[in-house]
Amino acid sequence: MQGVINTLRPLLLGGLLLTVPFAASPKNVTPDPNGLAPHAVEDLAYGDVLFYFYEDDYFDSITRLLAARQLGRVPHTQEEAELLLGGLYLSLGEHVEAGRIFEALLNKNTSEFVRNRAWFYLGKVWYQRGYLDEAERALRQVSDKMDQRINAERYMLLAQLMMRQGRYDEAIATLSSWHGAPDWTAYAQFNLGVALVRRDRLPEAISYLDRVGNMQTRSEELLALKDKANLALGFALLQAQRAAEARPILQRVRLEGPYSSKALLGVGWADAGMGEFKRALVPWLALRKRSLLDSAVQESFLTVPYAYAQLAATGQAADFYNSAIESFDSELKRIDDSIEGIRSGKLLDRLLNDDKKDTLTWYWQLTTVPNAPESRYLYALLASNEFQEGLKNYRELNFMSRNLDDWRDDVSAYDDMLDTRQEAYNQRVPKADAVLAATDLDRLTQKRVDFESRINEIEKSNDVAALGTPEEQQTWARLKRIEEYLTAHPDDPNLSDIREKHRLMKGVMYWRLSESFRARLWNERRSVKELEGQLKETQKRAVLVKQARVGTPLTTGGYASRVAAVRARIDQLHERMADVSGRQNLFLQSLAIRELEAQKVRIETYQVQARYELAAIYDRISNGPPKSPPSAAPNVTPGTPPNAAPDTPPNPPPQSQP
Amino acid sequence: MNFKHRMVSLMVCGALLSPAWMAMGETPPAPATADAPAADAPAPPASGAPPAELKTLDQEVQGLKKDVVDLNKDLFVLQEQLLFPANTQVALYISMDVGTFFALDSVTVKIDNKEVKNYLYTAREADALLKGGVQQIYLGNLKVGKHELVAFFSGKGPVERDYKRGATINFDKGVGAKYLELKITDRVPKHQPEFMIKDWE
Repeated sequence: MQGVINTLRPLLLGGLLLTVPFAASPKNVTPDPNGLAPHAVEDLAYGDVLFYFYEDDYFDSITRLLAARQLGRVPHTQEEAELLLGGLYLSLGEHVEAGRIFEALLNKNTSEFVRNRAWFYLGKVWYQRGYLDEAERALRQVSDKMDQRINAERYMLLAQLMMRQGRYDEAIATLSSWHGAPDWTAYAQFNLGVALVRRDRLPEAISYLDRVGNMQTRSEELLALKDKANLALGFALLQAQRAAEARPILQRVRLEGPYSSKALLGVGWADAGMGEFKRALVPWLALRKRSLLDSAVQESFLTVPYAYAQLAATGQAADFYNSAIESFDSELKRIDDSIEGIRSGKLLDRLLNDDKKDTLTWYWQLTTVPNAPESRYLYALLASNEFQEGLKNYRELNFMSRNLDDWRDDVSAYDDMLDTRQEAYNQRVPKADAVLAATDLDRLTQKRVDFESRINEIEKSNDVAALGTPEEQQTWARLKRIEEYLTAHPDDPNLSDIREKHRLMKGVMYWRLSESFRARLWNERRSVKELEGQLKETQKRAVLVKQARVGTPLTTGGYASRVAAVRARIDQLHERMADVSGRQNLFLQSLAIRELEAQKVRIETYQVQARYELAAIYDRISNGPPKSPPSAAPNVTPGTPPNAAPDTPPNPPPQSQP
Repeated sequence: MNFKHRMVSLMVCGALLSPAWMAMGETPPAPATADAPAADAPAPPASGAPPAELKTLDQEVQGLKKDVVDLNKDLFVLQEQLLFPANTQVALYISMDVGTFFALDSVTVKIDNKEVKNYLYTAREADALLKGGVQQIYLGNLKVGKHELVAFFSGKGPVERDYKRGATINFDKGVGAKYLELKITDRVPKHQPEFMIKDWE
């Protein structure tokens, strides 16, 4: 069984629909002609979504996918992302949203493989949730060109769906033409046999049920099905007054299996049906030692004294009826206590107490029940889709409620953070204002422009001295002054030596300045460029500071209002959650109580029968020995007269129209 | 007699003629003491729909769950925008391609010589990477400008030997968000894993 569940797990739409991508594992490297071709990572955000998906963390996966979509981070994988989103909604049990996405997507150019898978799983989830019409519509969209096992399951689902709707003839037609793997065949034959019995076509049903009842298998799941087939056929034969044929078939049921109690009861009825009351006592007495929780065991509390009565062992019959009445009394008391326990409202929390897995998956089911008094009555309930789906909803609401609690803490932290940001802003603004006020960027820019013009002028006029060192410029100025003096005294013969020296020194100086002029000019130009860059950066920063000065309160305020809005949504969802969760709890509680009430009614009916038969025995004893063997036929309905026909064998149990 | 016994056994055996659901993986394994009738009792014919109360509740639960999912999305976006604004955001991702020559145990990431992440992988996470998942290993803030990222990968290399390798990238952080991918690939000709860092522009 577990294996079956695992193969259906929601690799679900993701793994199967996406046949995912990027050369990850060897199996992904090989292109799948039916699925999407493997390809390299195109959107990191989509890969991130898949990471959580592959970890079975569907809640995180869907959150990230929706966020990535909103932020435009999956531009290359939109269609895949949309398919995955549908699958994720399905995994979280949101079949309506999933259906909407699939219906929109599957009309596009998706491959037949993808389309089939999507419709199949959608149909399956709808079937489980009891949306039978929707399930049938989805399952009928699936073509036969798909995995054989899944196709087999699809037909089985369709047949079961028809049977649930009482459309047995259609189910018979579907199952008759069905072909699939051997293990599925057994289920098909069983269901076909059942449908035929329900249409009163026992002769045709026998061959199918008998085939399943005789199959060779070691699989525990199929062994259980085999038992079930033998039991169904055995009781169908008993009902058709064919006790002798029923007996060997009922004896095929394993003694240690889940159906052994009913089989023992049936074998007893088969013996009784053939008038072999002493032989009937063997299985019935064995059955009577088992747990009274089993309805077959409860019935044995009546059939044992009935058989004794048929064998004219009136005293033993009376003893067993007395014992049955006492046992039923105790059981009724226990059921009442359990109903009270359930009404206290703690049933679901107790059921989920051991469920530690903090993730949401569509295939989650409660498989163990807590050690509580009411648990023993609830196995049948836990096997029903209705209860399991309701419980799953309740569990998911609990999970989401915890999720909202976590967010509420985070959102409080955001508030603190925004307050801190605002405070920091308030502290920094005066400093920033002071710096901005002290900085005349226009003046600095003008200075840079003037400086550049000056450099251009120097270059143009080849003013080599202008770029000299201070000492050089000083020397050059002195030489200029000497030159001016010499020019003012052109005929002074005493100055001829000095004139010669001046010419020489000026030549040397000019040579030196000219030699380094180009390099110095380049350096100056570089300085101008650097200055230009720094000024631009400073201007940019000044703009940013001014923008931040104006924008920060707006941004902080924007975030603050967003935080306030989400907090309000959290609170509102919390309220709705508490309301819906409470109603879900009450609903499931009512299902559990209904189940226990039904068990109570059944036991009360048995008890009434036992009392009636006991009274009849006492009546016969007080009125003298009977002229013919007594009838100990249990009387179900109070007031129904006991059947007096002494030798009529009891009619075996199964209903004609279950 | 017939009537009475039929009534009795009806209650016991009502389940026997219900279709076999178990194969479909819908119900939990039946306990040995399972009292089958209620579970297997056929649904009322014709309609086949779940009880109205269940359906209404189910639809309400679905609407509620969708609202919670939507709120989670909005909170996720708000959190990212608030804590990691686009102008300073830097996101590191890790991916594995094939993984024949390398089984990942841990990754250490340093940005500008400061350790920002040291992540130890569970088998489940490593498996998710192998299947094609890409993990966002780090989300943080960096100033605009030049930065250096160094990543160290530890695990089992070819022939099950301990294996540790590093990869480095120098990158420019502009005014937009920066995405970097740490890639582990198989270099088939050399039968060795290869570690690269890709700068997503």
